[in-house]
Amino acid sequence: MAKKTKDGSLTLLIKREKKVGFAFASPWLIGLAVFTAFPMLASFFLSFTRYDMVSSPRFIGLTNYRILFFSDNLFWTSLWNTLYHVMLAVPLGLIVGILLALLLNSRIRGIGVYRTIFYLPNVVSIVAMGLLWLWLFQPHFGLINQVLDPVYSLFNMDPIGWYRDASWSKFTIVLMGLWTAGGSMIIYLAQMQDIPKEYYEAAEIDGAGSLRRIYHITLPLMTPSIFFNFIMGIIAGFQVFAIAHIMTGGGPARSTYYFGYYLFDKMIMDHQMGSASAMAWVLLFVTLIITILALRLNRYVFYLGEQD
Amino acid sequence: MQTAECKPKMKESRLTRPQKRLVKTIVLQIVLVSLSFVFLFPFLWMLVTALKTPQELLHGIEKFFPDSPQWGNFVTAVTTVPFLMYLKNSLILVFFAVTGTLFSATLTAYAFAKLRWPGRDIFFVVMLATMMIPPQAILIPSYILYAHIGWLGTRLPLIVPYFFGGGAAFFIFLLRQFFKGIPNELMESAIVDGAGHLKIFIYLMLPLTKPALITVALITFMFVWNDYFGPLIFLSNPDHWTLALGLRAFETQFTGRYELMMAAAILVMSPTIVLFFVAQKHFIEGITFTGIKG
Repeated sequence: MAKKTKDGSLTLLIKREKKVGFAFASPWLIGLAVFTAFPMLASFFLSFTRYDMVSSPRFIGLTNYRILFFSDNLFWTSLWNTLYHVMLAVPLGLIVGILLALLLNSRIRGIGVYRTIFYLPNVVSIVAMGLLWLWLFQPHFGLINQVLDPVYSLFNMDPIGWYRDASWSKFTIVLMGLWTAGGSMIIYLAQMQDIPKEYYEAAEIDGAGSLRRIYHITLPLMTPSIFFNFIMGIIAGFQVFAIAHIMTGGGPARSTYYFGYYLFDKMIMDHQMGSASAMAWVLLFVTLIITILALRLNRYVFYLGEQD
Repeated sequence: MQTAECKPKMKESRLTRPQKRLVKTIVLQIVLVSLSFVFLFPFLWMLVTALKTPQELLHGIEKFFPDSPQWGNFVTAVTTVPFLMYLKNSLILVFFAVTGTLFSATLTAYAFAKLRWPGRDIFFVVMLATMMIPPQAILIPSYILYAHIGWLGTRLPLIVPYFFGGGAAFFIFLLRQFFKGIPNELMESAIVDGAGHLKIFIYLMLPLTKPALITVALITFMFVWNDYFGPLIFLSNPDHWTLALGLRAFETQFTGRYELMMAAAILVMSPTIVLFFVAQKHFIEGITFTGIKG
């Protein structure tokens, strides 16, 4: 951009721009160093120590990791609970989000209203949402079991205990999470609407029905946003904590005691900072590996504009 | 969807094109209306619950609407806990978070979009990568750090990082795209006229990116207002509790009193819902932006 000014001031301008660039980025650069890079390095270091915030950290090598992996059942329980959550919540969230978007991707009346309605649960605070679903899933007076009552008597079965039943609690949390599938729907929808109309017209002339048009045009061209939501869903899924802290306290019988919950307890309740740091790095590592594996799917992602 | 597709196909020979389209539209509308009902019903149930007496709660769905709406539940919910104090605390955090995010995100985005400085492109990748770091990996040492400098028990851990781009990676990315969209010629003529980058930034760039700034402010508001994790960890002093924490405490204090819980929950979530309806366009643009350009 400095090219157009007089020759003499060119180098001066570039020099100045360097300084100005750093100056403008400095709040973020400082933040990166102080609030991100330093804590990350520090937690890596702490993961090899025993530290209770009273006496100073003591280096114990890989002991924290060894204890977690080989003699801490709760670690494996919480990791399993989290994997269960991710494996159910991410695919179901994708499917519901895509289906909602496909339904709204048509030229009929009231699309804007429907879009608002489906998105609305996303603006609700997680605590309010937790309380609401505690009430809806309440095993005795809750609405859901009342509605299902005829079904229960038809199959002669006991009412489901939902979050009060260790074999249903994780699934209950996944299920209520689908209420917010409208968040990803918005992203899918925006991408669907970027697909040139000519593609559909051409397909229609060739005699492709709606389902085939969805399968051969819409879905392939949506892959970038599917991919984006997939990765983000995995990252968010591994951090599941708040909803369990609000609704179940990690129970019943530790069935919703997620990885993030155990880490929270270690850190805030027990002040086992070394062991908690080791858990944080395990989490980082697991997330990283799965994200990298997911990134390999990138080759199946179509980007509009790359093909012509 | 499937019924919408299959039905007309089977009767292909009998139905004309406009008829097929009509059938499809009707089926689609029925599906959408039923789905809307499913999505909205929890809100409705929340409201009718908040207006019931504890006895009416036990009748569940048989007594859908209360005999006489108990508006007093809202008063009870607000007066039995220090609701106004929680509100004030939430507003304090929201105010500083929005100010801090706007400050750091705009400056950094400008540096990434319009200025050339060594390491810029690497830092940009680093910034995108920070979005993927689990907060726990950062949290523990930060917690220790704050404990050492005496910030635990104060609001500072939930205020200061925002002024240094904390949690702003997405916004920086968003604003960078906006700044990039502003033609360089505008800047160049300002430079020729003797304006420095700070002047250009304040008088040229910021006014031109107003819609994006509103989006950033709104999403930050929403996030901080609804945030549970941050306050839970750092606000050990109950006098600093936000609405989110207060609402959580409400649950333990009034176990089983769902009518009061729902009344309190409605009060806590109504500002975000109103805000969403008022500024829907800004929200949706901000959210779709990430998924598509990202």
